[in-house]
Amino acid sequence: MQECEKELREVAKKLLLEKKVDLIIGYEEGTLPLRTRPIFIREADETKKLVWNSRCENSLCSYLKTTKERVGIVAKGCDSRSIIGLIKERQIKRENIFIIGVPCSGIIDRKKIEDILEGRELLECIESDSQITLKGEGLEEKVDKDKLVHASCKSCKYRNPVLYDTLVGKEVSQGEVEEYSDVEEFASKSDDERWAYFNDEASRCIRCYACRNVCPACYCPQCFVDQSLPTWFGRTLHPSDTLMFHMIRTLHIAGRCVDCGACSRVCPVNIELRMLHKKVQKDVKELYDYEAGINLEELPPMATFKMDDPQEFIK
Amino acid sequence: MEGNRIVSKEKSEWKPRIIAFLCNWCSYAGADLAGIGRLQYPPNVRIIRVPCSGRINPYFIIKSLQHGVDGVLVSGCHPGDCHYISGNLVARRRFAILKRILEFVGVEKGRVQFTWISAAEGERFSQVIKEVTEEIKALGPNKRFVKEA
Amino acid sequence: MRKGDRLKEKIIQKEQIGKWLEKLGKDYEIWAPVKRNGLVLFHPISSAKEVYFNFLNSKKTPKDLFFPQSEVLFSFPKEEIEKEVETILQKPRIVFAIRPCDARSLALLDQVFDSEDYQDPYYIERREGTLLVGLACTHPQQSCFCTSVGGGPFAKAHLDLLMADLGDGKYFVEALTERGEGLLEKNDSLQEPQKKDREKLAKIKEEAEEKVKSKLVTKGLEKKLDKIFDSSLWDRVHQRCLGCGICTYLCPTCHCFALLDEKDKARVERIRNWDSCMFPEFTVEASGHNPRISNRERMRQRVMHKFNYFVERYGETACVGCGRCIQSCPVNMDIREIIEEIRNE
Repeated sequence: MQECEKELREVAKKLLLEKKVDLIIGYEEGTLPLRTRPIFIREADETKKLVWNSRCENSLCSYLKTTKERVGIVAKGCDSRSIIGLIKERQIKRENIFIIGVPCSGIIDRKKIEDILEGRELLECIESDSQITLKGEGLEEKVDKDKLVHASCKSCKYRNPVLYDTLVGKEVSQGEVEEYSDVEEFASKSDDERWAYFNDEASRCIRCYACRNVCPACYCPQCFVDQSLPTWFGRTLHPSDTLMFHMIRTLHIAGRCVDCGACSRVCPVNIELRMLHKKVQKDVKELYDYEAGINLEELPPMATFKMDDPQEFIK
Repeated sequence: MEGNRIVSKEKSEWKPRIIAFLCNWCSYAGADLAGIGRLQYPPNVRIIRVPCSGRINPYFIIKSLQHGVDGVLVSGCHPGDCHYISGNLVARRRFAILKRILEFVGVEKGRVQFTWISAAEGERFSQVIKEVTEEIKALGPNKRFVKEA
Repeated sequence: MRKGDRLKEKIIQKEQIGKWLEKLGKDYEIWAPVKRNGLVLFHPISSAKEVYFNFLNSKKTPKDLFFPQSEVLFSFPKEEIEKEVETILQKPRIVFAIRPCDARSLALLDQVFDSEDYQDPYYIERREGTLLVGLACTHPQQSCFCTSVGGGPFAKAHLDLLMADLGDGKYFVEALTERGEGLLEKNDSLQEPQKKDREKLAKIKEEAEEKVKSKLVTKGLEKKLDKIFDSSLWDRVHQRCLGCGICTYLCPTCHCFALLDEKDKARVERIRNWDSCMFPEFTVEASGHNPRISNRERMRQRVMHKFNYFVERYGETACVGCGRCIQSCPVNMDIREIIEEIRNE
């Protein structure tokens, strides 16, 4: 991991010195234990701040949406897929982006660590290749990283970037993953149970829109939920309003969501709606044999059609 | 609310309220034909005319449920007949995903339905409305997405 | 009687708290920190068993008990435009185990909603009908800086009662108002504090204050902010910001709102919803023009409001140092760093 970090800094430094890019977007250490955060680097000297580890949870692609410069961006597997989506949908130009690919064995889910802490404060966290040591007042615990990996990463099929200009570190091995077993299991529950679950999740929503703002696929200049002439959406905290927001957002990113998990990681009230996005992904795959962000050629499924598309649902 | 509900004269027996989004060129004309032919069908449907089934935003459908309708029917031209060549074909993909996700979150099967009706199918229009009304009646009042005070 | 004066000091055994709350529950609706879905939030409780004492601080502040995120101010049937008066509180409430920082934030909100210029009846009724039972903070976190902004982990201001966990199965309770004293009277198993209890209290208080390591120098900050409105500093600090509303919605002192009318079925409702200066729509004008066009301006507004405009208007910083914005920010924006940068500019 440290070697990868070293290589990353060198690559970034070189890119800036050779003026191949104006800006590097990567990760640096944050101000609290466990946290890393996005950093914007324009001076070659600053590249020494760059880090790469399994705590780099942010999806940096969301910054590409507004950047006009030539950018060197650190991209995990999922991020590279998001970048493909943005290029395909003409939000960014391929030639303006230099992708520094980083193979990733999964990002740590901070919420799982909070469960271990049970209200105690984390004061220090030391990461090794396979374990994390959590330290706090009267607390020292070693935990296997595997146990802490985010659900999206567990079922990730693209741990190595799909598209990159240079790859730092070694490619990681890709085990067998059961992509949709959780969705199938959930679908076997009754209508009422499923409704209760989503209603309960949506009832916690505080409408901070962090899920939308962090989403690499959400780039509308004005979101439907913000429109006020006319006001399309109720602005209250009624679960009918909040679930509707999440439903429509899910539909908007149908065939575009790469399940990077950024939306569930940023949620301050632990809303887990990944199941919705997963379900749509599964349907898109089944119906239109399409997977988001794996090549630059195929048209996004919701922007095209075939004469013989399945229509068994039509009365 | 009560004023808007259909309350039968004898007893306040519940009758479903259904919104039908019909495309201007085929399905709305089909409904017209049913009317011209004096074909009978249940009066539970409120029709909203849209230019094309491609105009229908999934939002319209969920919003209808939020406002307390008991069922939604969407109808457009048969594939290949779209006045705008492919509006219904793009919409078909959208509807397929929408229908599956609605059922996934717990909206009962049959609450939201899709069909193709051409301008020549007045008979079929009245038949579809009969069927849809019966099916939604069987499901009972809609409780999903309804925004109650 | 001024708030903050010492009225009565007692010791409550930890196991007696359940009984006490049960008794209080007859007259009051009790809200306390409860852990659900891995989140500690204030919920109404029916038994002390639900209270999650082992919390650092609640994820959301209890601000929404006084200033709900979404509230119907009034509603009327479509035909007759006549205000229907609704009682806001059915029963007086107790917020149990509120942290001193959050209690202080209510005092700041009082300035906005209960001032000479403006009296907000909705807020005031809730505020007056609610007693605050504080739980002293024995585990301030790394992101806490309450001592820099006029508070402290054991601060008594604005509370009716302050409890402190002495750690040996006992709570030291201090009544700070007459109403707080009334709550104590409902407890018949109180003990008089011994000398060693007082010593223990002084000790844990000192330890807690020491744990608040972060310092934020706010002295002269408002004047500095006046000068750097157009500084390039804002170009730097906002870059990471995603423009979401987490910091404002979890902040105990943010209080901006938007009014809107919703027509629902046969009624019209006027609704007040929280709004956030971090959202682009916050400042969109009727013409479509938006004076705060990017995150840069919005970020600046948030800092200016807390550390300049509010100070100018009410004489205090609109920040209680709870650190929620630092902890919950998805991209780890840290107000301490931003203030430091401003000071160094």
